[in-house]
Amino acid sequence: MHDDDIKHPQAAAEFLQDRPHARWHDSAVWWVRKKRDAQAEKLPEWEQLRALADQIKAHTLSRLDEYLAEFANKAKSNGVTVHFAQDAQEHNTIVHGILAAAHVKKLVKSKSMLTEECGLNPYLEARGIEVIDTDLGERIVQLRHERPSHIVMPAIHLKKEQIGELFEKEMGTEHGNSDPTYLTHAARANLREHFLTADAGMTGVNFAIAETGGVVVCTNEGNADLGVSLPPIHISSMGIEKIIPKMEHLGIFTRLLARSAIGSPITTYTSHFHQARQGGEMHIVIVDNGRSAILGSSEFRKSLQCIRCGACMNTCPVYRRSSGMSYSYIIPGPIGSTLGPSRDIKKHASMAFACTTCGSCSNVCPVKINLHEQLVGQRAKAFDANAVPRLKKWAIQTAGFMMKHPALFDFAGKVQRTIIPIVPEALLKNSAWHKYGRATPDMPKDSFKDIMRKRVQGDKK
Amino acid sequence: MSSREQILNTIRANRPAPVELPDIHAPVFVHYDDPHQQFSTLVETLGGCAVYVNEGQSVLDAVKAHWPDAGQGRIVNLLEGNNAGQSHTELQAQSQSPHDHQNVDIAIVAGQLAVAENASVWVSNANLDCRSLYFLCQRLVMVVPRERMVHTMRDAYAQIKIEERGFGSFIAGSSRTADIEQSLVMGAHGAMAALVVFV
Repeated sequence: MHDDDIKHPQAAAEFLQDRPHARWHDSAVWWVRKKRDAQAEKLPEWEQLRALADQIKAHTLSRLDEYLAEFANKAKSNGVTVHFAQDAQEHNTIVHGILAAAHVKKLVKSKSMLTEECGLNPYLEARGIEVIDTDLGERIVQLRHERPSHIVMPAIHLKKEQIGELFEKEMGTEHGNSDPTYLTHAARANLREHFLTADAGMTGVNFAIAETGGVVVCTNEGNADLGVSLPPIHISSMGIEKIIPKMEHLGIFTRLLARSAIGSPITTYTSHFHQARQGGEMHIVIVDNGRSAILGSSEFRKSLQCIRCGACMNTCPVYRRSSGMSYSYIIPGPIGSTLGPSRDIKKHASMAFACTTCGSCSNVCPVKINLHEQLVGQRAKAFDANAVPRLKKWAIQTAGFMMKHPALFDFAGKVQRTIIPIVPEALLKNSAWHKYGRATPDMPKDSFKDIMRKRVQGDKK
Repeated sequence: MSSREQILNTIRANRPAPVELPDIHAPVFVHYDDPHQQFSTLVETLGGCAVYVNEGQSVLDAVKAHWPDAGQGRIVNLLEGNNAGQSHTELQAQSQSPHDHQNVDIAIVAGQLAVAENASVWVSNANLDCRSLYFLCQRLVMVVPRERMVHTMRDAYAQIKIEERGFGSFIAGSSRTADIEQSLVMGAHGAMAALVVFV
């Protein structure tokens, strides 16, 4: 459902056309970041939790094959059917196979970025199965035929009036009523009918426990729980990186996830599924889809530690001002900007350049992924793979050449300081300085080097 | 070769250097002077409420004191030896499918453990065959012995057991969402309100 043709700078510029809306988006997302800070400050052991989570994930990745095998065997002994899928196509085929065998007509799904990644909804719909996304935000974007713009808050890019209009059309809510409580309860009533009439339920997985063969799903709405406790068939899809070794390790991760994601001490429901409901069947589909290849890259493998909290998006100054819709990969923001290019550098090169390398994402990441460093690495990869626009490539090459020749660099600076003040304003109209309504800055008399040299000499005196 | 073998083989070929598993029990974690106070204050912000039953008061009395309209709708009471409301046995006899809980107004279930740091309660009831009860009821009451309180999730995982046919959940307050313009709304898909009764 995502559009690989999106180029971040153009898409961001489009988003910024509506300035009041863009400003609102920025502040709405920043508010969540602040709630995260408030929660982190309440725990004196916050940094220790991050360090432990990082170490547990790094350890798990270093023995991933063993833990996956342990998980699969244990789940099987619990009576769960375990499937392995190498790619999105195989995942979709497996899921459709399970549903078709049971003559399922309607599937209720709780939010799962993995099924988005695999393009499951259109695949099933093309085969005559009705798919209902049940997370409220996800349902909103599904009804709008959009993709989620955030991995935790899928509809954060929309105003309540837009949702009111949508619900009026889709569910017959009152004209002009966009009160969030009213709309939420209308969706509750509407979706409850779907929960009660679905033939199968599907969820993603937040954590999979090797020791017990069970999966953990965290939601505030209870949609995953309702979706799998009513219909007889329960399918959970998980990426191979969701594994943790033991149940006790959840005592670290469940403390970090919701605090980092939404600034809440925990989600309403942290549910542990080890078997099907009585009289039902449970399936777990374990998906690779490029992850094992990322594991082989020492530079980018740490991205597999991600627990999908979205904290990196909420803090990112670029994400907040450009929205998730501006990124070409299904996962936007800093983490998506390394995962996307890891998968396909040609398609997603522009994402890695949508970064100021401010490092805020790395600072909030609960599992300490070195996101801003990875993004620099992805840029180098994009350059080598010739996935950078020609002008940008030329500019980078020129800058690189200048940096390598200090005398030339100094000279160019001197020329610039002399020439810019005497160039007529009109000639600078289309330069980067002027494009966004900025005035040309006043040129300093001395270069930074000169200023520093004088200061150091001054200190010596 | 099966997909399972192919995936595991690729992982084996790409395995990073070994990393030690840390000892998660080594650090000292937060300790609340009054964990009950911490729990009660926090659960309010999560759309729930905590009450304590007094001498001679039954759980149902406490529920009715909290929700004066309780009793007008269907009440299911899974507590052992408590005959008020629909009992476990009656429920089992009547419930043919998980869908039968859809008209339950108040469900009273046992909670095995309460966690001070996040106001969640661990529920995993042995012999409950329809886990849908927790999520389909309009109002959920979790009854926890007051001495069963721990400080953090690390302490909780050291004590919990998954009883109900492989299912257990930490439930904190009421079902909620903030998907529309970040406005917090209580009552998304699960229970609209939650009450924790300490006995």
